[in-house]
Amino acid sequence: MKGGSHPDAGKRSLRQSLEEYARGVAGGLLFSLPLIYTMEVWWAGFMAGPPRLLAYFAIGFLLLFGYNRYSGLHEDASWLEVAFEAVEEMGLGLLLAAGTLWLLGRLEAGQPAGEMIGKVVVEGVTAAIGVSVGSAPLGGNGNGGKGKGHGGGMKGSRSVSEAGQIVLAVCGAVLFASNVAPTEEIVVIAVESPRWKILALALLSLALGALILFYSDFRGAKSATPDEHRGPGKIFSRMVINYAVALVASAFILWFFGRFDGTSAAVCLAQVVVLGVAGSLGASVGRLLLQ
Amino acid sequence: MSRVKKNVLEWSVFAVGVVVVAGTLAFLVWDLARAGSSPPDLTVELGEARRQTSGWAVPVTVRNRGDETAEGVHVEVVLETAAGGEERAELEIAFVPRGSHRKGWVTFTQAPAAGRLTGRVSGYEEP
Repeated sequence: MKGGSHPDAGKRSLRQSLEEYARGVAGGLLFSLPLIYTMEVWWAGFMAGPPRLLAYFAIGFLLLFGYNRYSGLHEDASWLEVAFEAVEEMGLGLLLAAGTLWLLGRLEAGQPAGEMIGKVVVEGVTAAIGVSVGSAPLGGNGNGGKGKGHGGGMKGSRSVSEAGQIVLAVCGAVLFASNVAPTEEIVVIAVESPRWKILALALLSLALGALILFYSDFRGAKSATPDEHRGPGKIFSRMVINYAVALVASAFILWFFGRFDGTSAAVCLAQVVVLGVAGSLGASVGRLLLQ
Repeated sequence: MSRVKKNVLEWSVFAVGVVVVAGTLAFLVWDLARAGSSPPDLTVELGEARRQTSGWAVPVTVRNRGDETAEGVHVEVVLETAAGGEERAELEIAFVPRGSHRKGWVTFTQAPAAGRLTGRVSGYEEP
């Protein structure tokens, strides 16, 4: 999937690509299994309707595209190559989702095609992002043509552009937030919490972003923001951008799962903040670990 | 294309990917084009009663011909016996998606064959 990261790398052996697919399958299942085992997500498959499913599919593609482009493992890859990879990963993700759903008895003969395709799309998009993430940094470093960008991805001495980091933050936010977004619990927490606790959740999300990006020494944290760029202004702007990404991603996912339908603006916002905690974790970790 | 280098396996996975992705996309677009926005349109069909250890069971099929999903569908089945009595049975189905059907059973203590069975949807929610 991530082949030919060097112009002169040429084709990789069957063994290498098999290993990469194995990592992709593992990553896909790792990130999508919580969703595949959740009832609300199966329901979303038939309740969302074609316009929302298409939007979800399109956004999923954009994320794959962005992730493949900016994951930094092949900065020199052409757009065509990136597009090819996105199609491959989306196909694998959909197949993985379909296979697992079938094993779990969620796809039965006699169900209308719309219901089955809906379920597979909802689960498959997350699986596809998981495939993409899994086939890169969870595993190989070196022979597979990965992590040998500029001085080795694992050491993180190479830095990704600001725009690239935001794309990675969006991927992380969607990946994490979508795992809890469809559950009833988000609405319950949003409706039952007093306002000051919702505010506290928002502050917690902001703090988590700063903590992970600047004070945790997570892998990649140093290279994403070298010491000379760690002024209070930078920390503040990163924190805010990070949380903004988390909120937008959370809002999109909640909209997709129909959590905004017929709901007052205040409750919608409370839901976005509640989910934003997961989104914020995902965004900041995504920025660092998905590179 | 000069910079896309893939081996046989990668090309075949890519080909499968293209088919799956294009197929899914084509289906969604086609579904979008034909989908209306009519509210749930539910009908109840009753099947042949079956003798059980205790009483009788009647299969119920609820069909939704509308374009929207119905949630929490309540089905009421009434058995009017020859003697003039009435026996009611109820069933709740969590979801009946658009263009789909769901099956369930209602049970009676008296033989449905001896009377007249009528089934209807008594209520549902919009999800």
